[in-house]
Amino acid sequence: MSATIAVSGTVPGAAKNIAASVQLGRSRHRTNTVVKSLCVLATALGLIFLASILFTLIVRGFGGLSTTVFTKSTLPPGSHGGLLNAIIGSLIQTCIGTLLGTPIGLMVGTYLSEYASGSKLGDSVRFVSDVLLSAPSILIGLFVYALMVAPFGGFSGIAGCVALAVIVIPIVVRTTEDMLRLIPVALREAAVALGAPKWKMIVMVCYPAAKQGIVTGILLAVARVAGETAPLLFTSLGNLNWSVSLAKPMASLPVTIYQYAGSAFEDWVQLAWVGALLITFGVLAINIAARLVLRVGK
Amino acid sequence: MTMKFATTAIVLAMAATVGAQAQEITGAGATFPAPIYTKWGEAAKAAIGIELNYQAIGSGGGQNQILQRTVDFGASDAPMAQDKLESGKLLQFPTVMGAVAIIVNLPDIESNQLKMSGEMLAEIYAGKITKWNDPKIADMNKGVKLPNMAIAPVYRADGSGTTFVFASYLSAVSTEWKDKVGAATSVKWPAGAGAKGNDGVSATVHNTRGGIGYVEYAFASQNKLTTLQLRNKAGHFVKPEMASFQAAAAAGDWANAKNFAVDLIDRAGDRSWPIVSATFIELPMDPKDPARSANVMKFFDWAYKNGSAMASSLEYVPLPESVQATVRAAWHSKIVSPDGKPVY
Repeated sequence: MSATIAVSGTVPGAAKNIAASVQLGRSRHRTNTVVKSLCVLATALGLIFLASILFTLIVRGFGGLSTTVFTKSTLPPGSHGGLLNAIIGSLIQTCIGTLLGTPIGLMVGTYLSEYASGSKLGDSVRFVSDVLLSAPSILIGLFVYALMVAPFGGFSGIAGCVALAVIVIPIVVRTTEDMLRLIPVALREAAVALGAPKWKMIVMVCYPAAKQGIVTGILLAVARVAGETAPLLFTSLGNLNWSVSLAKPMASLPVTIYQYAGSAFEDWVQLAWVGALLITFGVLAINIAARLVLRVGK
Repeated sequence: MTMKFATTAIVLAMAATVGAQAQEITGAGATFPAPIYTKWGEAAKAAIGIELNYQAIGSGGGQNQILQRTVDFGASDAPMAQDKLESGKLLQFPTVMGAVAIIVNLPDIESNQLKMSGEMLAEIYAGKITKWNDPKIADMNKGVKLPNMAIAPVYRADGSGTTFVFASYLSAVSTEWKDKVGAATSVKWPAGAGAKGNDGVSATVHNTRGGIGYVEYAFASQNKLTTLQLRNKAGHFVKPEMASFQAAAAAGDWANAKNFAVDLIDRAGDRSWPIVSATFIELPMDPKDPARSANVMKFFDWAYKNGSAMASSLEYVPLPESVQATVRAAWHSKIVSPDGKPVY
């Protein structure tokens, strides 16, 4: 911009215009410095919060980390319990929830990207999926409660899995659609030119090309649901005892943390910190895995 | 839709296998008794083979879930209203009692050194007494050096049975409080700052010089917080401790309490701590699975007989034996299976 002004002003009063442009350059430089420092400040602020959360978790969580955490189930205050049932419950519900939600999300995402461009139905499906993406997770828990818990007269692990699956679906839909849309038209045309039907083009050309992005989306969905408390409160409820039956109430780390963190008893509060540490580092590991998958693909 | 049907099928298949082993019981509700129910659960599993799963989802949640029959029993700190019990076909009975303690954060003041009356607490929470060296507090505490420091009242920001009990006490001792604020699980506090949970109130008082708050006794005792003595109805100053809680429990009019919803607030008796309350279980009178309901009663029967020491160790007040007998009689006469026979 400044260059254009300087050039256009060369004919009448060149020196004056050069001075003006120098002035302009300085003011822009100032603005640039101010905005840049604000950006750095904002980044630092965000990082400070993250670092302080991680620091507090490590300081308070590591103290309680011991083998009993992984070998014993939750016990009353003073009985030196662990978190085994909660850890296993969280793993089961997160895995089954992801397994239930991912295929549906993949298929909807594929439909939106490959079959429904510009169609009214596609637009409405996309809209509904986006609304679901931002819906408070407690509402999803209550939805599954009304669907599966109240009619069957009991809380169950499978209800928790379904609630998590409902959260997984819109995340996978969005990432799958976005990733498939990134694939160049030329690639699709090449496949069609070789005589491949549309389904074959999607399965054999588009999916492999978008694999990394889609897998990342799924991993992010796993990371999201692994730490969810609200949808599990009214579906899988929680279980004090060792139980892997999907028909019975099932323990989970977030619900256990929720109940232990506000307790009067030091050992329960300590276990809540340990649980929080486990979830945070689990989610961190998944996020790092997602980044690695993305990097290997490039 | 296919997913819905698939999961329905899975749930039905699982439900069929569960029917065989009915030694498990599931309950949900109040947070306050969760530690003792968990403790009893651990002991009862070894003694009578009943596995309790109790989940602390809050008193309101517990009442709703037992009305929906999604759990074997519900639990709540505040007794359920008569009409709700009737329409929901529920029997209510108490299990243990607990007390609310007043905690403060003042320099050079030791636990139970400072004395107060309920009227003064009501005025503090109404924002009328604002300084620790107020003449009213000083008069009651001659010889104690009170600082010229603002009083910072802390209350529960979340809906809570503890708030219900504390506000009931303030209503009982102050007509002005009763008329202007009243008692509920959350009230419109005239003064002070809110904090979430007993732990939040403890932490806020701990971090605020001049702070005062109300918490379940277990929080005060476990975390070694500075408590106050309170003047009871008989005009005596009492410390928050097991003996004064038991005195209040014994002074309750259990015989005439409908649905066992006994009032233990501001009871007579020289040694009675004035802020005590019971916590309750709600059990269906028309159980759809009588075997599970029978196990719930078997569990609490066992806990009445064998659980008092455990209750005391976790700062709860066990139920008087006469009341336990009345509860057993109510189980026998009120909870019947479809063929009209008592379930337990």
